[in-house]
Amino acid sequence: MNTIVEVHDLTKTFGATTALDGLSFQVGRGEVAGFLGPNGAGKSTTIRILLGLLRADGGSATVLGFDPWRDAVELHRHLAYVPGEVNLWPSLTGGEAIDFLCRLRGGADRARRTELVERFELDPRKKCRAYSKGNRQKVALISALASDVDLLVLDEPTSGLDPLMERVFQDCVAEATQRGSSVLLSSHILAEVEKLCDTVTIIRDGRTVESGSLAQLRHLTRSTITVRTDLDASGLAQVEGVHELRNEHGHTVFEVDNGHLEEVVRRLAEYGVRSLESAPPSLEELFLRHYGSDRQVAGVGGGR
Amino acid sequence: MNAFAGTAFLVRFDLRRDRIRLPLWVIGISALAAYFVAALRLAYPDTEDLRSVAGFADNPAGVMMSGPGYGMDDPTLEAFVANQYGLYLLVAAGFMNILLVVRHTRGEEENGRTELVLAGQVGRRAPLTAALVTALVANAALVVAGGAAMTAAGVDAGGAVLFAAGFAALGLFFAALTALVCQVCEHARTATGLAAAALGTAFVVRGVGDVLERHGSAVSWLSPIAWSQQTRAFVDPRWGPLALSFGFAAVAAAAAYRVVDRRDLGAGLVPPRPGRDEAAPALATPFALALRLQRGSIAGWGTGLALTGLFYGSLTGSIAESFANLPEDILVLMGGSTANLVDGFLGLTGYTMAFLASCFAILSVRRLRSEEQSGRIEPVLATATGRAGWMAAGLSVTALGVVALLALAGLGTGLGAAASTGEPIRVAASVWALLGYVPAVLGVAAIAAALFGLVPRAFDLVWVLVVYGYLVGSFGPILDLPGSAGALSPLNHVRQMPLEPFAAGSFVALVVLAALVTAAGLAAFRRRDLRSA
Repeated sequence: MNTIVEVHDLTKTFGATTALDGLSFQVGRGEVAGFLGPNGAGKSTTIRILLGLLRADGGSATVLGFDPWRDAVELHRHLAYVPGEVNLWPSLTGGEAIDFLCRLRGGADRARRTELVERFELDPRKKCRAYSKGNRQKVALISALASDVDLLVLDEPTSGLDPLMERVFQDCVAEATQRGSSVLLSSHILAEVEKLCDTVTIIRDGRTVESGSLAQLRHLTRSTITVRTDLDASGLAQVEGVHELRNEHGHTVFEVDNGHLEEVVRRLAEYGVRSLESAPPSLEELFLRHYGSDRQVAGVGGGR
Repeated sequence: MNAFAGTAFLVRFDLRRDRIRLPLWVIGISALAAYFVAALRLAYPDTEDLRSVAGFADNPAGVMMSGPGYGMDDPTLEAFVANQYGLYLLVAAGFMNILLVVRHTRGEEENGRTELVLAGQVGRRAPLTAALVTALVANAALVVAGGAAMTAAGVDAGGAVLFAAGFAALGLFFAALTALVCQVCEHARTATGLAAAALGTAFVVRGVGDVLERHGSAVSWLSPIAWSQQTRAFVDPRWGPLALSFGFAAVAAAAAYRVVDRRDLGAGLVPPRPGRDEAAPALATPFALALRLQRGSIAGWGTGLALTGLFYGSLTGSIAESFANLPEDILVLMGGSTANLVDGFLGLTGYTMAFLASCFAILSVRRLRSEEQSGRIEPVLATATGRAGWMAAGLSVTALGVVALLALAGLGTGLGAAASTGEPIRVAASVWALLGYVPAVLGVAAIAAALFGLVPRAFDLVWVLVVYGYLVGSFGPILDLPGSAGALSPLNHVRQMPLEPFAAGSFVALVVLAALVTAAGLAAFRRRDLRSA
């Protein structure tokens, strides 16, 4: 069994609001799968259905071979979850909350727990009520990462962490995959998904709009070329596949569809190239293509 | 920048946020005052009735739960209401102000909203000032609405305004005291607890003081509740004592401002201590967590109920003498004849303590809901913990707490009664009598659990059921409330031991019913979506 999360045509409504409208995607074993979409796209709803906390209205979801609603407890023995908004018991200390959650999951690696507390620079003796959002998130992350599980489900796991802690988090995710865990990670931060994920599913309004490996998705998009030429290169605008040609500080800058790259490079030589830079397509552009055209890009910070 | 900048804006904002809540409090208290007048006029049409009922309250327990007794030698209806029921209205006004001030000061600060507000063109003193002004508005409304409602019910307008001004004076005192407490404590819960404890202390001190001496002793005057009661409304009115409330309110408010000017945002004066860095080995199940989270509350309620029982129990010795000349209808309530007055009295106090234990049970089950709403349930249910198991763990702690509370209440009552009557058998009898309420109180918890599972949004309906049931069960015969609705409360299906014999049939029936209703709640919770706020 190489697919560990299989979601097909999932629907969920809350009263008059449609949260999921036929969502489908897969996560393969050993993958770090990114789940990308703006606020309100349905990311957390999907994750809650995958955990059996909400019940789908239609479609099917299978996680590690289990029906998450029917076999919730059995499924949960094999996964660890970090919610997007971590709330903890105000009267418990962070250390107590970590241990409690680990034990409910069936125990944790003590040495790794101690190590994670140090790496995340958490003071485990403070009461949870005194923690900031970032520190509450660290508690949930430490408890999840200290457990040996097949699947880590992380809902916007770094939204409260500073850049240094984000690095620690990225290292920890890499270590978890080396131990054989798969990871499903939701985010609206493109840079994070680009750095961490093998595959990406982009969702919008409860529907999948794009799904595949980063390489596959990049293929669908455009590279940015910056050149300095002896002759005026504005004639390139006529070439098929070239978009948004403009002049910036004496350089000619344009976008090119990756499918037309070869032809464009050949034509470029005619203008006498002095310097050339090519930037690979970023996920951000991919994202903007799906969200930027007919609607304001809500909550898409474009990385930090 | 002026430290008060933005106050007017914040006052409007606070009032807007409380536009439902505060009118409910004000109208509730005012309507209750008017209701007492109207209902008692029906219940006791002539002075002779009033005199005999007033005699019923003329003993330590009665004084503890009423007032200093002005005008009770020859009671008028309004003087009777002021003396007998004013205390409850005062306590309600106190709570209104405590909750109001905590909500708008430390509560806002703790969840970070004050930070947002202070980042605007708002002075450091503005949030506190706005909360105090809001309290001032609410208490002024209490004077107007309370005075008007009682006047409409047919009492002298001047007296009604003075009586209602007593609520407002106590209210302001506690508003200012709470404001100070909120500056010192870092957490809203601690602040509410401390302020409520101060109100409880005021209640006890006033009671003890008035028991020591008719019309109040020096001890009484230590309590702000006494200052409101000492206005002698409807008897020999004077406004002077209220000046004490206003004066001390001003002092407490000034102290609160001094702290505001010195401390950091979000900080208190008492820094929190560091706790354990690892969980105790036992903290490994949902049950252990629920017990851990509720042990403080169970200990607090247990102590309170044991002391209440001790207090009631110690009065039994003097009951027989002072109650000998009761009017007929009160005797019915207390057991029917002078021969079993003590048993009747203990039965009635047991019923009251079982009601209090029910309040604990509801609050305890309500934690399931707050765990769900806050989202704390999610990481727990995402582990190998089943929903039914999680809910059952919480309910088990509720059940344990209920049994412990009732046993402690019975023990307290029994020890007090044994000491005061010289009959050691009272200890076992009282414990047994209170434990007789276990199935009924568990029934209340079961109804709460069923609401949590089936219609979580309607959870608070259980309060209506239980509080109304209690009013019918205890004051029904006097206030002429329709009784059939009270039958919905499980508490009204228990024999009041030791007055009545133990009934195994209803005991077993209640246990079975509670189990069935709980099972319905568990089943429903397994089937529904989780809802976070």
